[in-house]
Amino acid sequence: MPTLPKTVTSLLCAAALTGVCVAQKPADSIDLKEFPAQSIDDVVVPVPSEVFGVLDKLGNPNWRGEQRENLGKQTGNRAQVALLLGTVIAEGFVAVEAEDPERVKEIGRRVLSLSKAINVEKAVLERAKSITDKAEVKDWQAVRKEFDGALQDVKGAMEELGDNELAQLVSMGGWIRGTEVLTSIVRKTYTPDSAELLHQPLLLDYFSKQLGSLSSKRLSNDRFVVRVRKMLEDIRPLIGAKDGDNISLDNVQKINEMTRETVISITGKGA
Amino acid sequence: MRKSLLIFLPLLALAPVFAYVDDALSFAYEAATPFVKQGFNVREDAWGGDLGVKDKQAIQAQLFKGNNYIFCLGTDVKKAVLSLAIYDSDGQLVSEETSRPGYLVTTKVAPKKTGTYYAIVTVHKSPVERTGWALVYAYK
Repeated sequence: MPTLPKTVTSLLCAAALTGVCVAQKPADSIDLKEFPAQSIDDVVVPVPSEVFGVLDKLGNPNWRGEQRENLGKQTGNRAQVALLLGTVIAEGFVAVEAEDPERVKEIGRRVLSLSKAINVEKAVLERAKSITDKAEVKDWQAVRKEFDGALQDVKGAMEELGDNELAQLVSMGGWIRGTEVLTSIVRKTYTPDSAELLHQPLLLDYFSKQLGSLSSKRLSNDRFVVRVRKMLEDIRPLIGAKDGDNISLDNVQKINEMTRETVISITGKGA
Repeated sequence: MRKSLLIFLPLLALAPVFAYVDDALSFAYEAATPFVKQGFNVREDAWGGDLGVKDKQAIQAQLFKGNNYIFCLGTDVKKAVLSLAIYDSDGQLVSEETSRPGYLVTTKVAPKKTGTYYAIVTVHKSPVERTGWALVYAYK
């Protein structure tokens, strides 16, 4: 077998190694159009405390003042129960921010009863117990993680039962209540920086797409689904077209009204 | 594809693919573990899939200015070399302190704007045809 001179071999090795290094060093900029097949189907929906944590850094929100007195009533409407479950889990994140152990425990129990109503109680049994135990010792970071896990467990169990579309409503319910709290705080001490937290085009497009492509006509025409779909369409133009755009106080107030009214419709007597 | 979808998709023929993505997920969580001590909250939700050698995958994420994020990529194929980079919506690199490409990769992002970001997962080398990967993130 012919051999290459040592220096040539070394140079080739060096070039090959450099090539690997260059290939593995991330480019300073890329053309995102190179990824046209990327869809918005695989979106990880942020949990409320990802946003709430920023608000904490910007000021000192009155989290106890943001808690809802009533966690809402469940009806026989499965879409309403799924949305309500999402709002209750979001309420759990608010209670964690407020460091209110009794409230957290109450929410843990409510998550369990709502999960029972949609046949996924088993999936969250351990979580609910853990939420109570960790709230008891005020391990807030752990409680936050349990609420995140409860959300995933509920959705996973619903998907396992073939209720994928209904599972999306749990995420949406959480997002709606989370956004109501976010806008409530931002409008009280408005700054462009805090309002920028509402710039969430990816999530709005994702939710709209989910609701616009429901295979179940019954679910698609459900009055709660119709209401949420309309709310998302109305919010979309208010959150800024580009990253870094200013979102006005007026828009923050409008989004707050829309989300508040939707939460009331999900949780209130009209449900 | 998200973990929850991966686990529960009723396509039994694809079960082995999902199994190795699940294995990858435990490695991604392993990579995230040291950051918990630094106060990061690791999300339970995750992305995952499988790629051929030299393939790339973009994943979109909503990030918030004011938070710090750690993205952790893992595969159970220990001889595979994967890399991870995060870009903003203009295609500018924003990730910092990225670990060396390998079967576990972590990178940090402190977003300057709230909005949509793109995580690019690349498989540079692998002894197998398709390399299962999983990506989790943590925030504080």
